[in-house]
Amino acid sequence: MSTYTKQQVKNLTEGKLDWDTTTRMLSMPKDNERFSIYLEVLQAKVPWKDKIVLPLGPHLYIVQSAKTKQWLTKCDCGHEFGDYRENWKLNAAIYVRDNPETMRDVYPTLMAPDTDWQVYREYYCPECGVMLDVEAPTPWYPVIHDFEPDIEAFYTEWVNLPVPERAD
Amino acid sequence: MQVQHSPVQVMGIDAGGTMTDTFFVRKDGRFVVGKAQSNPEDESLAIFNSSEDALAHWGRNVDQVYPELLTCVYSGTAMLNRVVQRRGMDVGLICNKGFEQVHSMGRAIQSYLGYALEDRIHLNTHRYDEPLVPLSRTRGVTERTDVQGTVVIPLREHEVRQATRELVDAGAKAIVICLLQSHKNGTNEKRTRDICRYELSKMGVDIPVFASVDYYPSRKESHRMNTTILEAYAAEPSRKTLQKVSDRFKKHGSKFDLRVMATHGGTISWKARELSRTIVSGPIGGVIGSKLLGEVLGYENIACSDIGGTSFDMALITKGNFSIISDPDMARLVLSLPLVAMDSVGAGAGSFVRIDPYSGGIKLGPDSAGYRVGTCWPESGLDTVSVSDCHVVLGYLNPENFLGGAIKLNVERARQHIKAQIADPLGLSIEDAAAGVIELLDLQLRDYLRANISAKGYSAADFVCFSYGGAGPVHTYGYTEGAGFKDVIVPAWAAGFSAFGCACADFEYRYDKSVDIAVPQHGSDVDKVAACRTIQTAWEELAAKVVEEFEINGFKRNEVILQPGFRMQYMGQLNDLEITSPITMAATAKDWDRMVEAYEETYARVYASSARSPELGFSVTGAIMRGLVPVQKPTLPEDPEEGPTPPKDAFLGTRKFYRHKKWVDAKLWKMEALRPGNEITGPAIIESDATTFVVPEGFATYVDKHRLFHLKEVKQRPTHLREVK
Repeated sequence: MSTYTKQQVKNLTEGKLDWDTTTRMLSMPKDNERFSIYLEVLQAKVPWKDKIVLPLGPHLYIVQSAKTKQWLTKCDCGHEFGDYRENWKLNAAIYVRDNPETMRDVYPTLMAPDTDWQVYREYYCPECGVMLDVEAPTPWYPVIHDFEPDIEAFYTEWVNLPVPERAD
Repeated sequence: MQVQHSPVQVMGIDAGGTMTDTFFVRKDGRFVVGKAQSNPEDESLAIFNSSEDALAHWGRNVDQVYPELLTCVYSGTAMLNRVVQRRGMDVGLICNKGFEQVHSMGRAIQSYLGYALEDRIHLNTHRYDEPLVPLSRTRGVTERTDVQGTVVIPLREHEVRQATRELVDAGAKAIVICLLQSHKNGTNEKRTRDICRYELSKMGVDIPVFASVDYYPSRKESHRMNTTILEAYAAEPSRKTLQKVSDRFKKHGSKFDLRVMATHGGTISWKARELSRTIVSGPIGGVIGSKLLGEVLGYENIACSDIGGTSFDMALITKGNFSIISDPDMARLVLSLPLVAMDSVGAGAGSFVRIDPYSGGIKLGPDSAGYRVGTCWPESGLDTVSVSDCHVVLGYLNPENFLGGAIKLNVERARQHIKAQIADPLGLSIEDAAAGVIELLDLQLRDYLRANISAKGYSAADFVCFSYGGAGPVHTYGYTEGAGFKDVIVPAWAAGFSAFGCACADFEYRYDKSVDIAVPQHGSDVDKVAACRTIQTAWEELAAKVVEEFEINGFKRNEVILQPGFRMQYMGQLNDLEITSPITMAATAKDWDRMVEAYEETYARVYASSARSPELGFSVTGAIMRGLVPVQKPTLPEDPEEGPTPPKDAFLGTRKFYRHKKWVDAKLWKMEALRPGNEITGPAIIESDATTFVVPEGFATYVDKHRLFHLKEVKQRPTHLREVK
């Protein structure tokens, strides 16, 4: 098993890791301490004090509130989307591309999906405006709840770390 | 040391990434090996230093010996490194319009060439290397020649002129031209080449132009394009290096013409036109050396095995011949070059050892410590256990005499790493964990060797196994045990065997050309004559190129032995076989029948006679012309046998050696001091500066008059009955 430095993991999150190390990471079994180093690196980048429990995307995290110990979904700008078990998308700003005109921003004419069959829904942070997610369902489909992570099992059975405290 | 009078005749050079080895052979067959640190800035200096190191053994120096030499062969990794590190010439490329991206796409296969199986099936590790020629220096021109060789769109000549000007402006230092189907009909490509040259001269720009049709007229566009690009990108810079090497030889009084080992198994002059085929040479040397050794010893079937730090390479010699593949890949590029067929597996003496956290099993490689040996070398900066660490812990290697004592190994450091990373997680003692690693590697290599022999339809009992390479003799017993080889041979010069092999290679040029010929089983004489005409035309074209190459080196046509060949297959089958032609000229229906006969005979030997399928008819896919002139080759040392008991001064003491769950005292012997006829029964370790030959319990070896060690499995006898030597 290989081990990596905090700097290497930081470069990885920033897309600056050299290819040799990246391939080694990809092909070798994952090093035990990677997740905790990864969390440290992410924690150092965000401006708030809440503890990151699980990263959900490039700008989105499940965090433990420093004040209440509640677990919340949070944007890196600090905007909070509520309880981590709820679908955060329901509290996000949304932009739907459901006609050929708006699709043209993304793909040239005739190369975009037929919007009677498929639409794009883009979710943005209402506070900082960063794009958090895009989904591409059929037009009538409800807002997709991507997943509900089993954080307890992940901490205890996968990465062998104590589960952070949680107040409900 | 006393001055010897036998003249030194042959020199072999193996210029590796870290060390430059030289190998000198005297007329009486004695040889010395020299080592020096490689010098990428000036290879000629490293060769000079290495030569001085070697010749010091004889108390001689370069100025005395270089003028005596009759022949010298170079092999090196400089060109390969230039490609791998993308430090080649700025090349411009002219291809078909609309096909500008083809070179970067590398048939998709280039995104995972050279990967271990796990990574090949793991899509997110796939990656395209930077192309040899960037898109910014690629221009398409309109023309089209179809698969039958008919020009269906004539060349738009003004586009060639414009492309040439643009490429020069974009900084091209050489221009490569590769158009579709030019191997079928080179008219448009040759026209493009001529216009390009004319345009360059009009611009007053003096840069070389390479057309694929002049170099590698073979089917498969990506292969042909890569190979032609390589000629400009990497081979031209290498030519300058070789000139420098040659100049230094001349300065010290040499009279020979420097030759370079080429992928087809022959050597070519450094002035040769197709120099890119010298890109890989080291491992080939071993196969050539084995072939020569086999000829002297009377072995027709040889399994060649070479273990280095990072890989295990094997090749088969059957009926005195090695096989050639025509579209190999090297440095993650598909190429169109004839290459001595070899199979490699990424497991060597330096492979890293890890525990797979999911299966709990030991996993070897695919990466390796390479020259950094392992954690046993504190200066390596490594903290992952390598196979060498296990060797050191178990007493296989002498920690005080690794590479002749050049580096000191720390056994305790290796023990601690094995304990923490392998032994403790598996609940084993350090020794058993390390022994498990060695057994696993031996098992993998043995299976690989055996599978490669049986997959080709042969039985190991018909083969003699040659084992060489720096780490080969450490593992020889392990990967040959129970495999049932007729004999197992370790040359005393195992570490310098590749350099020796290079010095054994003929001065040989070989040119290939794709042809498309198909004649049914009972084809008419008219068809057969037409087929012969196509082949003969191709042979003549290739022979002219071969002779031209020799003429550059001052040979005349009548001094060159020409040997035509062809690649044939049953019509519709996928694999062709290379056949040395039984006829020197093809003209009549009878000639065709003789070619078919030679093919079917080879087919029956390679596969099985019952697998022959003449009812499908016959296709010829390629014409081959080889030309050679005889050169001085090393003679094998030959000493009188002196009886089974080794001389006293060869005995170095004992070392604790662990195998099969117990420590034993292995006798240590100095390889150089052993005499022909000597027999050694295991457990014993025969040491030399550059290699270690392990003979465990249950094995015995004797040295023959050529300084070859023969390794045999012997029946175990209770220890108290065993004679004490």
